[in-house]
Amino acid sequence: MRRRDFLSRVVLGGVAIVAAPRLGGQVVSPPAGDAAPAQGTTSNLFDMNQEAAKTVRRPAKPGAVPSMTDDARDVLEHDIRCQCSCTLDVYTCRTTDFSCQVSPAMHRDVMSLVDGGYSAQEILDAFVQTYGERALMSPKREGFNWAGYLVPSVALAAGAAGLVVVLRGMQRRTAAIDAERRGDLLVNPATPEEHARLQAAIRRDD
Amino acid sequence: MILVGELSLWVALLMAIWSAVTSFAGGTMGRDDLVISGRRGLYATTAMIVLASLGLWTALLTHDFSLRYVASNTSANMPKIYVFAAFWGGQAGSMLFWALILALYSAIAVWSIRGRARELAPWVCGTLAAILVFFIATTCFKANPYDRLAFVPADGRGMNPQLQNPGMAIHPPTLYLGYVATSIPFAFAIAALVSRKLDAEWLSIVRRWSLVSWFFLTIGITLGMWWAYVELGWSGYWAWDPVENASLLPWLTGTAFLHSIMIQEKRGMLRKWNVVLVVTTFLLAIFGTFLTRSGLVESVHSFAQSPVGTWFATFFIGATGATIYFVTTRLKDLEATAELESMVSREAAFLYNNLVLVGIAFSVLWGTLFPVLSEWVRGTKITVGPPFFNTVNVPLGLLLLALTGVGPLIAWRKASTSNLQRQFRFPVLFGLSTGVLLFALGMRNPHALVAYTLAGFVAGTIGQEFYKGIGARHSMHDESIPLAALRLVARNRRRYGGYIVHAGIVILFCAFAGLAFKRDHDVQMKAGDTKELVDPLGHRWRFVSQGVSTSETLNRFVTAVGLEVWRDGIRQGIVTSEKRQHFDSNKQPQFEPSTEVGIRTSAALDLYIVLAGVRDETAELRISFNPLVVWVWIGGMVMAIGGLIVMWPQTERRRAGGYVATLEPAPRAELAATR
Repeated sequence: MRRRDFLSRVVLGGVAIVAAPRLGGQVVSPPAGDAAPAQGTTSNLFDMNQEAAKTVRRPAKPGAVPSMTDDARDVLEHDIRCQCSCTLDVYTCRTTDFSCQVSPAMHRDVMSLVDGGYSAQEILDAFVQTYGERALMSPKREGFNWAGYLVPSVALAAGAAGLVVVLRGMQRRTAAIDAERRGDLLVNPATPEEHARLQAAIRRDD
Repeated sequence: MILVGELSLWVALLMAIWSAVTSFAGGTMGRDDLVISGRRGLYATTAMIVLASLGLWTALLTHDFSLRYVASNTSANMPKIYVFAAFWGGQAGSMLFWALILALYSAIAVWSIRGRARELAPWVCGTLAAILVFFIATTCFKANPYDRLAFVPADGRGMNPQLQNPGMAIHPPTLYLGYVATSIPFAFAIAALVSRKLDAEWLSIVRRWSLVSWFFLTIGITLGMWWAYVELGWSGYWAWDPVENASLLPWLTGTAFLHSIMIQEKRGMLRKWNVVLVVTTFLLAIFGTFLTRSGLVESVHSFAQSPVGTWFATFFIGATGATIYFVTTRLKDLEATAELESMVSREAAFLYNNLVLVGIAFSVLWGTLFPVLSEWVRGTKITVGPPFFNTVNVPLGLLLLALTGVGPLIAWRKASTSNLQRQFRFPVLFGLSTGVLLFALGMRNPHALVAYTLAGFVAGTIGQEFYKGIGARHSMHDESIPLAALRLVARNRRRYGGYIVHAGIVILFCAFAGLAFKRDHDVQMKAGDTKELVDPLGHRWRFVSQGVSTSETLNRFVTAVGLEVWRDGIRQGIVTSEKRQHFDSNKQPQFEPSTEVGIRTSAALDLYIVLAGVRDETAELRISFNPLVVWVWIGGMVMAIGGLIVMWPQTERRRAGGYVATLEPAPRAELAATR
């Protein structure tokens, strides 16, 4: 059998074995959410949990007055994560395209706590108490979370230190070679061809 | 055609397996017939993938809803352009699209080295075919766009409304073009390592393909930011989402490589480091795809929960293991041929730049994975969002910006004090003047002040380089200034194209720093209501509501609010923001309502109006003033143009033998031989 014949039979046989059950006849059931509209429970881009909002309310402090301005409240909402699975903060999510019902609910809780006289930290703590640490847009600076903040800096510092060590080693070796080369050049000065090559290299430099 | 396409996909898998096996066998046994067969197998794979793609496009455009993919991602009433773009709009189609680009790239790469690079060719072909096997197999077995439904629905679900945007039609292909292009340098690196042919030949090819990858990633990332900004309605363009981070990682290491390769070309140094960067860039592209398609990390992306994650993880582990083996067993072949002479030299500056770029890549990767790590270690779910990434990366970004200005000012090999003084004087003065001027004008945000000062410094560097170059041409060749500028760039594309990229970086950083002055206002307006607001530049804006209107168009119900906008008493026109409810051919609502943002762009700032909702004829709006946003897109474009100039082949130099090791000291034996 010629190689070309062998190849064509192998290819056709392989195709027949692998693909035959799949061609034309085989069908798969429509997976949930694939052919059917996804109303109410999913956003257009990701699996949204519209039921994720929990109540974060506290009784107003005696003689409470709003603890912060609207601008300060907006800043605070940038530190609280919406729980609809969008990965955005409450302030941002409220008006995004995700049609979220969770962030408006969380926003109402924030307003209620602000009106109740609670400080920014107390409000954050209240949200953490209800939702856990994932209510915050960035991890608290404590315990294991310090690794999150410090490892990049430590790695960069280690890299910089390593680089300095390597560069110094290189520099020393170069200095040694240069010294040797200088001695060599005293005995054998450069030829005109070498000068020409050097000039060409300098012109190409930069 | 659809059946042909479906069949072609399976044939492509077999052909890719054949190509990989025969190429590797041919390379190992030194048999040319097997090598040729492997190469032809790769061409055949490409042809089959093209047929498979045409089949899917046919199915999409003819609305063959018996295919699950077509029914899930299109509907009969969708605009044709988005039906066409639905090819890459879903999981299965995007896998086939990836395979299509990879096959085309592979065919071009293998064809371009025919008759040369004989030792590399079989391994390049084999590696690319092996990668193709993975992508085609994943498409066939885990995300097959030709899977059929048990019934034929009357209409499809349609495409996500957010994806029905011109930016989304272009953004994924460009990003894929960038991602996939990392495969070619990887294949050449593996080929060079396996064959131990680690000379200049593979390096020049790798550089060209790395530029292609970088170019498309830059465009893709910029388009992605633009799409997020105009479509998602959150008034921002970067949220440090894992999907965004996944695209940034290979861009960062690719950028590092494009700098460090210059040191290898000029001085023969960093050979190990360059190989590591090339393979890391590819592995990060794969790892990023695994991250965003495995559900390992939460992401605002529909691919987050998909069945291909395990396959990607397996492939990533296999590729990483093979790479580590080949790099560690070839370390002696990767010894540098020259050493660094001074820590104050351009080589050293490039190394510092590499350190920061890789440091940023690491911190982005670390931040993306830290929630997973935290859950493993503590059992507690946490969020690592923009506040974390900004805390860690803003200082590094500013350091990188500074180095962008420092590098071009320092001489190769060793910079003298007088050289440094002469080179740095103008850029430093220009940067400081910028900072002082902005402070005098009332800018007090420390991050922004530092950013603009450094941007001024880098702009000074770039301006000085162009001034010197143009001046030299003007006086030496008696050319007019525009002609001298044109020829300066044309004759030194790598250098001045690179400076144009740096100019794009400066523009980008200026735009990023503008976010420090962003202002948002939540307002409720009935028809006829007026609101007055002040933007960050002190201009007074007046908004008069034209009321809420509803309408129906091609595939959606539209609720819109129009605002008549005045700035400092001058009418700016009507800005409209919409909520859209898409429906299918039976007028059944599909997907959640989406927002169409009203944007009025100027060089100084964007007016950005989002209709959050309507209650009792009252529109709830968020009106934002976003300074300098248009410069993000301009900066991205400038970078891409610079990249294009750098990529453009330069005939004279190519004839002269390329750029390789032009400053490398001649080996002693060679010097002796010339005497």
